Amino acid sequence: MIEAVKSAVVAELEKIVGNKFVSTNQADLYIYSYDLTPAESNWPDVVVLPQNLEELREIVALANKEKVPVTPYVAGGNVGGLTIPLEGGIIIDLKRMNRIIEVNDVDMYALVEPGVTFGQLKAYLENNHPSLRYTYAFSPQSTGVASNAIVQGLDNLSFRYGAASAWVCGLEALLATGEVIKIGSGAASKTWQAIAPFPELDGLFLGWQGTTGIVTKMAVNLWPKHAYEAAVTLMPMDLEGAYAIFQAIIRTRIPDDLIGTSFQLNKVGEAAYAHLKAPIYPAPPVDPKDPEFVITAEITGNTQKELDAKLEAIEEAVKAKCQGYKYLGPDTAPSTTAAFPMQALGVLSSGGGLMWVGTYGPMSTWLETVKKGCELQDKYNIARTCYTRMMNEGHFAGLRWMLPYDKEDPELVQRIKDLCDEQLDLVLENGYIPYKTPVWAVRKLEERAGDEWIKLHRRVKEMLDPNNIMNPGRWGTPG
Amino acid sequence: MALSDLKEWLYGCTHCGTCKDVLNIFSPACPSGEMYQLESYYPSGKMLIARGLTSGALTLDDEVLERIYACTGCLSCEQQCGVYHRQHIFEVVQALRTEAVTQGYLNPAYMIMVDSLKKDDNVFGKSKSERGDWAKDMGIKDASQEKVDVLYHAGCMLSFDPELWEIPRSVINIMRAAGTDAGIMGLEESCCGGRAYEIGYVGEFTKYAEHCIETFNSLGVSTVVTSCSDGYSTFKKLYPTVAADMKFEALHMVEYLERLIKDGKLKFTKELPLKVTYHDPCHLGRHLGDDGLYEPPRSVLQAIPGIELVEMERNRENAWCCGAGAGVSQANPELGLWTANERLKEAKATGAAALVTACPWCVRNFRDAVQEYDHDIDIYDISGIVSKAM
Repeated sequence: MIEAVKSAVVAELEKIVGNKFVSTNQADLYIYSYDLTPAESNWPDVVVLPQNLEELREIVALANKEKVPVTPYVAGGNVGGLTIPLEGGIIIDLKRMNRIIEVNDVDMYALVEPGVTFGQLKAYLENNHPSLRYTYAFSPQSTGVASNAIVQGLDNLSFRYGAASAWVCGLEALLATGEVIKIGSGAASKTWQAIAPFPELDGLFLGWQGTTGIVTKMAVNLWPKHAYEAAVTLMPMDLEGAYAIFQAIIRTRIPDDLIGTSFQLNKVGEAAYAHLKAPIYPAPPVDPKDPEFVITAEITGNTQKELDAKLEAIEEAVKAKCQGYKYLGPDTAPSTTAAFPMQALGVLSSGGGLMWVGTYGPMSTWLETVKKGCELQDKYNIARTCYTRMMNEGHFAGLRWMLPYDKEDPELVQRIKDLCDEQLDLVLENGYIPYKTPVWAVRKLEERAGDEWIKLHRRVKEMLDPNNIMNPGRWGTPG
Repeated sequence: MALSDLKEWLYGCTHCGTCKDVLNIFSPACPSGEMYQLESYYPSGKMLIARGLTSGALTLDDEVLERIYACTGCLSCEQQCGVYHRQHIFEVVQALRTEAVTQGYLNPAYMIMVDSLKKDDNVFGKSKSERGDWAKDMGIKDASQEKVDVLYHAGCMLSFDPELWEIPRSVINIMRAAGTDAGIMGLEESCCGGRAYEIGYVGEFTKYAEHCIETFNSLGVSTVVTSCSDGYSTFKKLYPTVAADMKFEALHMVEYLERLIKDGKLKFTKELPLKVTYHDPCHLGRHLGDDGLYEPPRSVLQAIPGIELVEMERNRENAWCCGAGAGVSQANPELGLWTANERLKEAKATGAAALVTACPWCVRNFRDAVQEYDHDIDIYDISGIVSKAM
């Protein structure tokens, strides 16, 4: 930003929210300039923390008038570099807009402001609506409920209901041009139960990484919390066995959550939870007696009888369909649901860094993709760290290889980047699309999707954000 | 410790935000971050500032210093964080402060404290001649003149704040009632040095640590008892880093009270019908790691006839700080009082009529916040409550 413009913008921002909630100090700008991935850092010019919609509206109006980029921020833990301000400008930290406006117990939704976190919502529900639950990610409690949905996160009820954007039953958004629009039933009534039967305009904001507007309220579905829960674990000795077990369990339609991890990732996790650096490079020796994969299905029931019947059905399905494969289990253990949201993101960081090629893709190419992705890890002498989650009852899968790394080790950083480059080409070939898409993957996807696709994205972006101030440089970047 | 000695820990933080809230309860954990809201005020922000200063991306300036000093040293971040560097977060903050002192950036409020330490052996700018005034007319043995079994170390806060003198005076009355052969150092007592350590003046701390250890050893006392949690954690955790040869047992008053009750030396003769909540001082809890004194004060309170003890949501190792620690009450009273007010609101929510704690810094800050924010809750040190029931 030109210095004269910057001074004027900062002075205006201070008038809007007060001095205390505006910072141009180098410490703040530095902190918001990068994240836990190796994405290139870029400093914002100023950070501002509005408390309500009116303040936010004035900030965005100012930015639009001065054509200054704005990047919305809640916790910055998206593992995609999505809040790094690629073109500088204003970071709008939304954490003060953190009201849980409504929890409708009968219609089973919560209406929240963008600063509401997983931890905050979980505590609120447990204290005030203990019969209801929300879905929580693998990420820490500081993760924003709305931002997780906007970036289509994968959560611990994703087997049943899909990516977090599928939970959105209404939203309110502020456009760069100043309009505040409501989408879903809340636009025309007092309740926010569903988007249908309106046109599904929530798609103008979900998955767009804040490039089309700032979501100022979001209604998300809540679900009944069952009294009985358990986790069933199976450990196949090879990936073919893992694929067969997934297929068997998917077709039961029973679990709430169905995930799998490389056995080596579990070992890495054990070390990390013992407060050690996660040892992924060089890859620790593999014991041939160890299984290849750990698969966990989370089961719930209204009664113990129902829970037992579900466990039995899963066991029978696996036994019937996986006879040719070697595996350990099934073992039943207490549910891990209570641990969500969790510390894992930080714990696994192992030196301030965590990177992955995180994707959504088809089960039909899952086995080939996982095999080749793990082989690439072998090639780079990095422990196999595959993490996969079956989504929307197995209609697609979340897939990534978790790569904790030490930011202070340039050689390892380069190794991780090179591995990710190769893994990205692999997944794209197999129909897996990077989620929370980092900007370097956006450009690769644009090449594959073609000109008409890019034009449509640009037209949508231009319609909603004519001055291209909303988190510019990502989806819909003008040509 | 210099920043350059802590490089191993500077890259542990991913800025994941786990330190912001109490695990599983999801209530705020960090006073500084919670009040200022900017990421730079949270523990992760301070870790990143340290990284930036070390890598050359940042330089010290007044606003960076303000962030470095906006930390009460409560260690809640270390309690919540799960990463391998978790037990070194405040060490990094202290190293940042030491770096500031080394580079000549002197915080005016701390300069007053340090000048006062150098001149009068206390952190309040008071004359050394006033140190033993709290004990005047009590006829307590002078441990520097005659041999005693137990030395009571009042510490700076209790020695120089007349409004808190009821606390050490209660202690002496309790010890007398229990038949303890106790004495004090009076004018010869000096600061423990803990505060100097926390604000980055490691040299001053070392001087006081060496002096106190040598003095306590030379007196031949079996036990040194203090009511000051800061002083106690300094004795227990910091002094061994200076000299291993400590020929005395250091006890906090809550331990001593529990011991007296268990040994049958302390009898309660009055009923005290009062609903109270207990605030865990950071220096009596998290600062002691696995040796945190969480149960002794509770068992003392529950032994008093009529007392009903109720817990705040954030208790024991997850307690919210009083706001006074690590020099904040002197250098940034706004943060100190705001933090105390948050705790008082939590205490009030329990329905308690009184908040009891076991640290004079907490008592002082809570009483100031009660006045500032017009709360109707009484603040007691645990010895004050005990002596009321005797």
